[in-house]
Amino acid sequence: MANGNAQQKLSGTDVVKARKGLMITPDLCIACRGCQTACKQWNKLPGDATTNSGTYENPPALTAHLYNQIHFIEKPKDVGIDWLFVRRACMHCGEAGCMDICPAPGALFRTDEGAVAFNKEKCIGCKLCVAACPFDVPRYDSDNKISKCTLCSDRISNGLSTACAKGCPTGAIRFGSRDPLISAASAAGYTVYGEKDLEGLGVMFALKGDYKEYNLPQPTYHAGIALWNSVIRPLSVIGLGAVAAGALIHYLTIGPKDVEPDETAKKGGE
Amino acid sequence: MVKMIQKTTAFERIVHLLLALSCLALLLTGLGFLYQQELGWLNTIFGGVHIARGIHNWGGIVFIVSLIFSLGTWVPECLKWTSDDSKWLGMLGGYLSREKDKEIPPQGKINAGQKLLGIVVFISGVIISISGLILWLSVPSALWVLIHNVCALLFAVFVPVHIYLATAANPGTFRIMTRGDVPLYWAKKKHPKWVKEIGAG
Ligand code: HEM
Ligand code: SF4
Ligand code: SF4
Ligand code: SF4
Repeated sequence: MANGNAQQKLSGTDVVKARKGLMITPDLCIACRGCQTACKQWNKLPGDATTNSGTYENPPALTAHLYNQIHFIEKPKDVGIDWLFVRRACMHCGEAGCMDICPAPGALFRTDEGAVAFNKEKCIGCKLCVAACPFDVPRYDSDNKISKCTLCSDRISNGLSTACAKGCPTGAIRFGSRDPLISAASAAGYTVYGEKDLEGLGVMFALKGDYKEYNLPQPTYHAGIALWNSVIRPLSVIGLGAVAAGALIHYLTIGPKDVEPDETAKKGGE
Repeated sequence: MVKMIQKTTAFERIVHLLLALSCLALLLTGLGFLYQQELGWLNTIFGGVHIARGIHNWGGIVFIVSLIFSLGTWVPECLKWTSDDSKWLGMLGGYLSREKDKEIPPQGKINAGQKLLGIVVFISGVIISISGLILWLSVPSALWVLIHNVCALLFAVFVPVHIYLATAANPGTFRIMTRGDVPLYWAKKKHPKWVKEIGAG
């Protein structure tokens, strides 16, 4: 079932040969933001001017030039506070709403490693992918073109690890084939976030507590797009086919309605 | 000489032409976007997806303007719904057989099917215009995408039927769009109530 659906959708992972991914372990993160820097360096992204908003979190959200951001959660406890550091970036969803809604062929595409990558030349800047993303990921550069993490497609297709994983000194970001990452995290006693959701996220989290404590959303495919895929899209094909075939058959069998001049003239014209 | 009577004014014909051209351009580019895997080639014909987006956005403006100017002409006609119209729809205008031609209930300036088209075009036209502007000018919610697409499908089904009925299926009708006049004998057969109303009979 899941496979059948995936084939219908643009975002299907059936083209993927060996799905690669990241396992994020917030417990190991020390918020050094080496990943943010390594990502900027590899992807040649300029810095953003930020303002002090009274937190260590900086910048406070993803931008067109920040594909990967460490989110700071402060939890008050009896003495002092507990910190949780959660990496935010594209999750490379197996069932990717952004790809399914995108109207421009090739603007978003699935790589052999299962990443959701983009091609700015083909993007028309419609921002529909923003509407479809459950993780609030896609951003726009000054040309109105999509900008987001590509899972370092250009590195991983050449056998390298992602820049963020390489830049991480503690192993909080681990890159590898998806299945071994999952087994390792489970063996270490973590609950894996994103193993099955949305046909498997490319970026998963190894968590000790409830995902809500980490401000992670329930991964959900947009209901409107699901309704479109499952019901309206097939109906529309039937409807359009019926119109075309109906008109042709009508013309060839019953034929056009001609009006003969004399016919009505006889009947009561003046 | 066949006696002719005028069915549309020059203004109405210009407005209808703009409506028709913009609507077709919107439909073709829109279907190219919506079914980018299967119909993306439509937008290649329009000169690539970037040009297609421009055509779709600015064509939308032409569509909205011509829709507004169409309202005054056709809405009052569409609202004149009588039992003859219900009967006409019930037998699908007699299009399904040639036997029943004599039983077709007499129609006004436009027939019940045309009224139905008008109603669908105006209601979904307003909704598709509003949702389209939202999609264009904001970072939209996916719900607007759904609304926009459902209205587009209504157009995609009704417009080809309309085109077929206004051309191949009813010889002589296309002239209403291009020249505006029809032979009196034709009008008496197709729109007898209207002929009576304007006292042309
Ligand atoms: C390009 C192909 C088209 C052709 C050949 C065509 C032809 C015609 C003709 C001949 C009429 C006059 C009918 C009469 O007075 O008996 C008409 C009316 C009308 N057309 Fe079109 N049309 C076309 C496209 C469109 C499109 C794309 C739309 C919608 C956006 C549209 C909307 C209307 C409406 C609302 C009327 C008013 C009366 C009615 O409902 O038939 N037309 N059309
Ligand atoms: S996280 Fe958002 S942008 Fe990334 S693949 Fe999923 S839907 Fe697309
Ligand atoms: S903004 Fe670009 S990538 Fe996003 S849906 Fe539109 S064309 Fe696709
Ligand atoms: S995978 Fe690459 S592009 Fe994505 S956040 Fe890490 S370094 Fe940046």
